[in-house]
Amino acid sequence: MTETQTGQPPKPALPYAELRDVIDLSLWAGQMLLQHGARTQRVEETVHHLGTGLGCDWLDILVSPNGIVLTTSSGQEFRTKIRRVKRMGVNMSVAAEINALSRRVTAEALDRHQVRAELARIDQMPLPYNRWLVVGMVGLACAALSRLFGADWAIFGATFGASAAAMWVRQELDRRFFNPFLVTAATAFAAGILASLPTLFSWGAQPQLALAASVLLLVPGAPLITAAQDLLEGHLVTGLARGLAGSLVSLAIALGLLLAMWLMGV
Amino acid sequence: MAVWALVQDGFWAGVAAVGFAMLFSVPRRDLPGAFLTGAVGHSARALLLQWGVSLEGATLVGAAVVGVLGNVLAQRLHKPTFVFTVPGVIPMVPGVFAFQTMMGILRVTTAAAGEGSGVLVDAGINAIHTALLLGALALGISIPRLLFRHPRPVV
Repeated sequence: MTETQTGQPPKPALPYAELRDVIDLSLWAGQMLLQHGARTQRVEETVHHLGTGLGCDWLDILVSPNGIVLTTSSGQEFRTKIRRVKRMGVNMSVAAEINALSRRVTAEALDRHQVRAELARIDQMPLPYNRWLVVGMVGLACAALSRLFGADWAIFGATFGASAAAMWVRQELDRRFFNPFLVTAATAFAAGILASLPTLFSWGAQPQLALAASVLLLVPGAPLITAAQDLLEGHLVTGLARGLAGSLVSLAIALGLLLAMWLMGV
Repeated sequence: MAVWALVQDGFWAGVAAVGFAMLFSVPRRDLPGAFLTGAVGHSARALLLQWGVSLEGATLVGAAVVGVLGNVLAQRLHKPTFVFTVPGVIPMVPGVFAFQTMMGILRVTTAAAGEGSGVLVDAGINAIHTALLLGALALGISIPRLLFRHPRPVV
């Protein structure tokens, strides 16, 4: 990168060993962002910001649906590394912390040891909410959506119960590392069994709304919106992969729900 | 009465936004912002639907409201925008359209003779709504960035 392109005086060339640290730290940050569902554009920009803030001249980054390739350049030297990324749930606390860290690197002139300590802290951050609180709030969220569809209070209560129980099932299956599509189908099945009770016993005015609303906790809303944003920003490969993953999750929801409805005869 | 209905709509959308925000591990102190974007965005959409705007058009405007509000909150509170915008549009996500598309596809296999084409057409209509609504949500929350923050690409 020449002076005219960056508009800044050239940086001192990093020693080869230091370049290794910079690529490791930038990849680590990028991996955590991608793992927890950040947009491709944000992954690229944050990694670039972090790497150049730590003294590199330039970074070339390639984000694929399940890995990141990164080349760091400084003076005449460059290093390239690949990191495999396994997708996990959306965690916006982690994404927000990494975003803040990438700003602090330039604003507070953090060195690579401080950045490493910060990344280790972010990596070890516990989930911000107790699992039972999440069970209750996700149940309440689905019940709130049933109100938006026009459900009465009986169906509101039934939806709350069915989706909170389904969220518990999902947590239990997730922590045993079952296949994600299987977890989704099984959770939709559990929600469907419970949410068909109002239809079976004719509670409330529109009992079928409980069936529709109680599986909404499973709809991959955040990944599907991120998929559309990736496509909008020209990241077609990651956008298509996220969109297809979201569609398959929707298919798993439908499978589980149909099986439950068939068994319950509703 | 119409105003009261909009307030109720906003309240329940806000509750849904906060519930999903907690599922996405949004930090505790940003939950009020997620409630606000969810409530205002969804009631803006409900108002436009009352005025006879199409579902897709109303969703685009609702998501744009979430996008603008989320950007204002993010700048004031020094937060990334996504903690406010993504939970804010969750109540508008076409979840029911999405799984009805898939249920339609599965039901084609068990439909009685002559009824399969109707089931398939319904699934196709649901699929088109799902895709367009998701596009409207993504475009809507990106509008502030597309219009006002488009620096020279660095990557």
